[in-house]
Amino acid sequence: MMNKTASVVIIGGGISGCAIAYSLAKKGVKDVVVVEREYLCSGATGRCGAGVRMQWGTEMNCKLAKYSIEFFETANEELEYEYDIEFKQGGYLIIAATEKEVEQFQKNIKLQNSLGIPSRYITPKEAKEIVPHMDETQILGAAFNPKDGHLNPFHTTQAYANAAQRLGVEIMKFTEVTGIDVENGKIKGVQTTKGYISTPVVVNAAGGYSQLISKMVGVEMPVFSERHQILVTEPVAPMQGPMFMSFSQNIYCQQTPHGSFIMGRGDPNEPRDLRITSSWDFLEEMAKTCIRLLPPLRELRMVRQWSGLYNMSPDRQPIYGPVKEVEGFYLACGFSGHGFMFGPVTGVVISEAILGEEPTIPVHMLGLDRFEKGELILEPSVV
Amino acid sequence: MLKSTGIPTQKDLETVVPSKERLAKGPVAIMECFEKIPCNPCYTSCKRGAIKEFEDINDRPQLNVDICNGCGVCISNCPGLAIFVVDETYSETEALVKIPYEFSPLPEEGTYVTGLDREGKPVCRAKVVKVQNSKAQDRTPVVAIAVPKELSMVVRCLSLDDYYSDNTIVCRCEEVTLGEIREYIRKGYQTIEEIKRISRCGMGPCQGRTCSQLILEEIAKATGQDVADLKVHTYRQPTLPIKLGLLVGGEDDE
Repeated sequence: MMNKTASVVIIGGGISGCAIAYSLAKKGVKDVVVVEREYLCSGATGRCGAGVRMQWGTEMNCKLAKYSIEFFETANEELEYEYDIEFKQGGYLIIAATEKEVEQFQKNIKLQNSLGIPSRYITPKEAKEIVPHMDETQILGAAFNPKDGHLNPFHTTQAYANAAQRLGVEIMKFTEVTGIDVENGKIKGVQTTKGYISTPVVVNAAGGYSQLISKMVGVEMPVFSERHQILVTEPVAPMQGPMFMSFSQNIYCQQTPHGSFIMGRGDPNEPRDLRITSSWDFLEEMAKTCIRLLPPLRELRMVRQWSGLYNMSPDRQPIYGPVKEVEGFYLACGFSGHGFMFGPVTGVVISEAILGEEPTIPVHMLGLDRFEKGELILEPSVV
Repeated sequence: MLKSTGIPTQKDLETVVPSKERLAKGPVAIMECFEKIPCNPCYTSCKRGAIKEFEDINDRPQLNVDICNGCGVCISNCPGLAIFVVDETYSETEALVKIPYEFSPLPEEGTYVTGLDREGKPVCRAKVVKVQNSKAQDRTPVVAIAVPKELSMVVRCLSLDDYYSDNTIVCRCEEVTLGEIREYIRKGYQTIEEIKRISRCGMGPCQGRTCSQLILEEIAKATGQDVADLKVHTYRQPTLPIKLGLLVGGEDDE
């Protein structure tokens, strides 16, 4: 057991925690420590569907996503990663299966185009040209943005972590936070299973466990964690370029550069606890949806299923920044299933908040206090 | 145990393994002869008189380890292939084990082979230091291999296949080599979950059935832990790959 001092302690070794550590270190902050209960990306990051899209329904989410995706385009070089983050920019094809979706997508696309996002509305026939194995008779149209895509969450997190470590960040793996000390309304230090860390600043980037961390300093957050499940198939020859997605039909499905298909869906009856078990029901429902919309995929063999936690906020947008109850306590949580794709922007805006810098993207309206004030803009586009 | 499996137990071995002090002095014969059988060529072949004269030809050999200099003449003379010579002073980290080897082809000096334990299980990579196959060996060649010192009393046979080479494929589904795994361990990925995520090892159709034990053994070796103490990765359904079409019902797989 070693006691130490840090300028910032980041709780959570997922994409958010590693990106925040990197951004701080890049700005010259010394003695940044990341504390991770298990191994890097062992939580939501490493369990996610790994898609990244700019096609959102709120201006804020569009901006956050656009910034992040533009970062991913050059991340291998920027982070000087020795392997590959496997960014496949094959687009997102979001199908409209109901009149309501057609209307919503046209509205979304207008907003997205106004923000410089090159999405467009396409006919079923055009959609079929992009994903030839889809049943286009099931859809009324689709939204397509060629700049969306997906990448490998393990490698992306590792790329950030390695770059952060080269800049002097310490990453404590297999270390659990057991308590956070607050004195006179200020952060004083973090108790861990590997010793005490004195620090004036703590960042809660604990993903599905963020509410437990906030509770340690007496901050209640209106978030809950919800299990989401995924399956992966054996690898096959490249046949699908974009992420195929539907909100009303409840599916997202991508083919990784490696060849395997990864697909997932939500379930309104998911338990709202911290379980990350696998269920048979999911397999059946997932296979049904997938085969109905993408019939030839019925021949694929699934090799594994797993699950992870969405940290759901009331308006499905992230919770960023300081809290008024405790000085030195910062939040980067409540991502509602989009923490991975927002990773780069999370790193930037949280480091700016800690250092009191002008934010690259103004995110003050994403503070925890928005829920008290009732200033919510609901994100309509979530699976 | 010996009678049903042919493999001596720890207790059997205690009767023939010399003391640490003797092993530290240099080469010495290990007479792994546990059965009372009418046989004494070890005694007649030893020119130094290190093996006690047999009162009854059925006796087990009695070696005086202070007289034995580990010359190895007795190895080829034992019809039961029960005698080995171990030299723990061979190098800082390695011991030399001389093994009677009656298989064909013989290994070549300077190549790498795999050291097997008494059950025939691979335990380490071993370098072939010398192959003796002159008239004196009388068709029982003696192969001297260098093995990690801690395995000097474990390795008792060899396989010509170099299982522990860096080129060996550990994960057949994703074609990950042992060399790559060793590289990841060196870089600090020291749990099977981390290695899986960085290398794809265990993510293929077999879901780690082939590779996970091998990787755990490499981690244990590199980090000095007991393999039994290491965490295995999470097992999830299905046990065998299943067609998505089968999951929705109404068709057979194959």
